[in-house]
Amino acid sequence: MRMLRPGALLTLFLLATALMFVAPPAKAVPPFARQTGLACEACHTLPPELTPFGRRFKLNGYTLTTRPALVNDIDDSKKNTLWLTDLPGLAVLAQIGYDHYDRAPPDAGQPYPAHAQSDSFQFPDQFSLVYAGAVTDRVGAWLQLTYNQVAGSVGVDNIDIRYSDHTINNDLVWGVTANNYPTFQDPWNGSGSYTIPNFNTVTLWSSGVAGAGLRAPIIGSLGPGNVAGLGAYGFYKDSVYVEFSEYHSAISGTGNPNVDSTNLSANGGAVDGFAPYARIAYERDWGYHSAQIGASLLVANWIPEVNYISPAQQAAANAAAAAGTPYTPAQTFHPGAADKFTDLTVDWQYQYNGQHNIFGFLGHFAHEREQNSPQLVASNLANATPSYSNATDTLQQWIVTGEYFYNRHYGGLVSFEKTTGTTDALLNGGTGSPANQYEVLELDYVPWLNFRFILQYNIYNVVANNQSPFLLSHTNFPNNPGFPNVKASDNNTWVLGLWMDF
Amino acid sequence: MKKLMAQSLTAAALALGSLVARPAPAAETFIPAPADPSTYLEARALVSNTCSKCHGPTGNGISISPLFPILAAQQATYIELQLKQLRQRVRPDPHARAFMWGIARGLSDEQIEGVAEYFSSLPAAPSPPLTDSALAAKGKQIYESPLQLESGAVNCANCHGLEGQGKSKQAIPRLAGQHPDYLNVQVHYYRSMTRVSAIMNQVSAALTEDQIDAVTRYAASLSGKGRIAAPAAAAPEAQ
Repeated sequence: MRMLRPGALLTLFLLATALMFVAPPAKAVPPFARQTGLACEACHTLPPELTPFGRRFKLNGYTLTTRPALVNDIDDSKKNTLWLTDLPGLAVLAQIGYDHYDRAPPDAGQPYPAHAQSDSFQFPDQFSLVYAGAVTDRVGAWLQLTYNQVAGSVGVDNIDIRYSDHTINNDLVWGVTANNYPTFQDPWNGSGSYTIPNFNTVTLWSSGVAGAGLRAPIIGSLGPGNVAGLGAYGFYKDSVYVEFSEYHSAISGTGNPNVDSTNLSANGGAVDGFAPYARIAYERDWGYHSAQIGASLLVANWIPEVNYISPAQQAAANAAAAAGTPYTPAQTFHPGAADKFTDLTVDWQYQYNGQHNIFGFLGHFAHEREQNSPQLVASNLANATPSYSNATDTLQQWIVTGEYFYNRHYGGLVSFEKTTGTTDALLNGGTGSPANQYEVLELDYVPWLNFRFILQYNIYNVVANNQSPFLLSHTNFPNNPGFPNVKASDNNTWVLGLWMDF
Repeated sequence: MKKLMAQSLTAAALALGSLVARPAPAAETFIPAPADPSTYLEARALVSNTCSKCHGPTGNGISISPLFPILAAQQATYIELQLKQLRQRVRPDPHARAFMWGIARGLSDEQIEGVAEYFSSLPAAPSPPLTDSALAAKGKQIYESPLQLESGAVNCANCHGLEGQGKSKQAIPRLAGQHPDYLNVQVHYYRSMTRVSAIMNQVSAALTEDQIDAVTRYAASLSGKGRIAAPAAAAPEAQ
C-alpha cells in the first residue's frame, strides 16, 4: 500500500472515527417507554432531540417510573436494597439507508471503473442492541452494542451509567455519570453526539478512495472505543446546568495501558493522560417554549498515529540493506509527541412544543485550537517526516438547524454546516485548507412514533476547500481522463432512510 | 488563549447566574395541610420524583407548559377521579394516552388519594389576567348565562362556581388559574367526544369557536376565591 501522508492519516482517522461514531442511530428507546409508561413524545420532539421533560428524565438518571417493582427488597431503614422491574429494558434499534450519489464514485484501484454504481444500500446502516433504563431506584444506564455496515463489525457503542439524586423541591438535581463519549451525557442537542440532524447514512463520496473527509473538531471524534470518563453534574433551579468530567483513553481491541504503537495502530491515536471536559448551560421554559444557551470546553492531548521513523531505526534499516537483508522500518508514533486540542463550543436550542406544531432552531459554533507537537512540525529541522506545516492550527465550525413537525407525523429540517480554519498543507493536503460546507434538507414521515421514513438531500458546496482534485492521495487523479472535473457537488446524495426501534 | 477562554467562561457563568434570578414561583412558599403526615410525605415524594417533571418543577403543581394542567388547588375529588380514569384508560384524549395512562398505571388507590390531597392543598396559581374587556364581557356572559341544551338549561357558573373554583362533592374541576389553552383544548376534546361527560359533551357542542375561546380565557382569569380551603394543620418536617 502506498504510504499516506501523516496529515492525511490523521484526517483519515478523524473521518473514520466520525463515520463510525458520529452518526449513531436515533435514540428514542422502547425500554424507557416501557419503564415510564410514557409515549416517545413525552421525551422527544423527534428522536433523539429531547423535550424539556426528556431532559429531566435523563438528568434524573433514567430512573423515573411508577411501575411496581417485581422484586423490591428493603432494609430496616426502608432503603431499597434491590429494585427490579418485571422486564429488562432491552431494545433493538435499526437504521437503514439507500443512498444515491449525484455521480458514481471512482474505484480506488482502477483508473476506469468497470462497474461504477451511484447507489449504496446501507442495510442496515446501523443495528443496535440497547439496555436502557433504571438499574436501581437511583442508578440508570444506557448500554449499546452496534453493528455498523461501514465498519463491518459489532462493537461497543454509547455507554452512559449514571447515579442521580435531587432535593425534595427539585431545586438541585445532581448526579454522577460514567460514559464513553463526551457530550453523550448532555441533555441538549446542540453539539457532539446528539447534533441534529442525526440521521446520517452517507459515506462521503471522496472518502471512499482517499482521506478527503470533512474536518471537524476532535470533540465529535472522541467516542466509544476511544475514551471513557467520569463526571459530575448539577442542575440548579430547573435552569442552570454545570458539569465537569475527565476522560482517559479506553481503546477497544487492546488492554495495553501504554500509548504505544499497539494502541495507536488499534485506534489511530490516543488521548494522553486525562482530558478535562467542562459544560455550562442555561435553560428557560415558558408556556410552550423552551430555550437554552450553553458552552463547553474540552482540552485533550492527543498522540497521533504518524509515520515516523527514528534516525536509529533508519540507520539499522540501512545497515540491514547493506548486508543484503533489506526491510522497511515501521513505527507509528513519534516518541513524546502530542498535539494539544482545545475545543470551545457555544450551543443553543429553541423549541416550541405546541399541541400540534413543533418548531426547533438549534446549533453550535465550535472553535478548536490545535497546538501541534513541535516534533511533528515542519519547521523542526530534525524531523524528516513532519506532519504539520504550522505550530498551531485552528478550526471553526458552524452547524445551524431549523426544523418543523406537524402532529408528530409530518415534518422536516434544514441544516447548514460550515467549517473554516488555518491553511496547513501537511495536515490537510492539497491547498491545505480544511474548509468544508454542506446543507442537509430532510423530509420526515412518522406513521408510528417508533417507525420513521426519511427523505434527505445532502448538498456539498465545499469539500476540503474544493481542492482539485480533492482526492488527496489517489494517484489516478487529477489526470484521469475517465474521471474529469472532480468537484464538491459530486458528493451530493439523495438518501431514502428508515429508522425504527422496538 | 487559555486566559481568554477562562475569562469568557467566567463571564458566561456570571451572566447565566444573573439570569437565574427570575421571580420565585409560588411553590416556594406553600404551606401544605396534611391530614396524615405519612401519606403527605409519601405523596410529596411521589410528586417530587415524578409529577413535578410536568406539573411544576418544584412540586408546586403549577405547570409551565399548557400541554399539562395546573393542579395546584385543584379539587382533590376531581384529581382522584381523573387519576382513576386514567389508570383504567377510560379517558382517551391524546395527551392522556401519551403521558398519564402510563404514569397512572402503577398508582395505588392510596397514592392517588395522597397525591390528590397534596395538589389540592397547594396555593393556587395566579390567574392569567384577561385584559381585553370586550372578550372578558363576552366570556362572562357565556359563563354565567343559561345555555339551552336538550336536557335543559345549564350554565358554567352553576357547576364550576362563579369564581371558577369548582365543586368538591361532585368532583367538578376548578378552572380559575388554569392555562387558558389547556381549557380550550379540553373543551374541544369534549366536543369531539374524545372525553366523555354528559353535560360537557352537550355544552361544548353548543358553543362556537369564538365562544369557546372567550369562555375558557374568562374562566381561567377568575379568582377561584370561592374555594373552600383545606383544613389548616402544621406541616411535617421535610424528609
